Amino acid sequence: MNQNDADPIDALLRKQFDGPVPDGGFSERVMRRLPARRRRNGWPLLAGVFAGAAACWLSLSSSPLLHAGWQDWMHGEFSGPALILLLAMAGMSVLALGWTVAEADDG
Amino acid sequence: MTDSAAEARIDRALVARALLGDDRRAFEQLLRRHQGMVRAQLRRLAHGDIAVADDLAQETFLLAWRKLDQFRGDARFSTWLHRIAYSCFLQACRKRAWPVDEAEEDATEQLPAPAHAADLQLDFERAMQRLSRAEQAVLLHCVQLGLSHEETAYALAMPLGTVKSHAMRGKAKLKTWLAAWQETAAEEKTS
Repeated sequence: MNQNDADPIDALLRKQFDGPVPDGGFSERVMRRLPARRRRNGWPLLAGVFAGAAACWLSLSSSPLLHAGWQDWMHGEFSGPALILLLAMAGMSVLALGWTVAEADDG
Repeated sequence: MTDSAAEARIDRALVARALLGDDRRAFEQLLRRHQGMVRAQLRRLAHGDIAVADDLAQETFLLAWRKLDQFRGDARFSTWLHRIAYSCFLQACRKRAWPVDEAEEDATEQLPAPAHAADLQLDFERAMQRLSRAEQAVLLHCVQLGLSHEETAYALAMPLGTVKSHAMRGKAKLKTWLAAWQETAAEEKTS
């Protein structure tokens, strides 16, 4: 707090301030208008994540790129397919992060 | 433990109760603890328009209820509320196209020395209106609401340096404009 009462302008500003406003029924009015809080269920999000992951896996399971990338990655070789796989995962993580931040801001 | 630290702890506990058990009574306690200062802040910002200020205060608390899970305790709960209130005020200014009082940057003349306290009140209000909106907001939060410069920067979403310079410039202008009153007060003290 800036308690600089030695400054006449500060003292004058404080003197001219009326201070907190008495309630006068304000709190009751606000409480009456308070909406029910939206309960966020976690299951639709989890179900979506699993469904998305399963769909990705099914559509890519026949692709040799995915197998090659996965094999190379498991062996610690950063080949082209492994890098593509890594970049795809990093990109999806960034998108998920962006979505989470946007949701939090929107709240 | 200082009073303000104890108050902040009580607020955090009430927020936790309101969030965990969806406890409306905990939120009502928060509302009753802070409505006075939030409404005072908005009345000053709205230049004494009580109806507009109370509408904005109501909007502030409804928004605080909705966004309560975003309060992380890195600022005091009261500062967080002042931030929401100021942002509601700015939004209302944009929506309703309220006239923005532009500062008279070059105005350096003194106001005539008032003879009575009522005159001083009028002159003080006139002098405040002549400050830029940012200077008025900074002086309101820093001096009248008792927030630190850091808290004011958070509440107004302004860089700390800007807050300090607005505070200094605003006070310097008030000092110049109210110099006649200060001289009279000093003379009265010595006589």
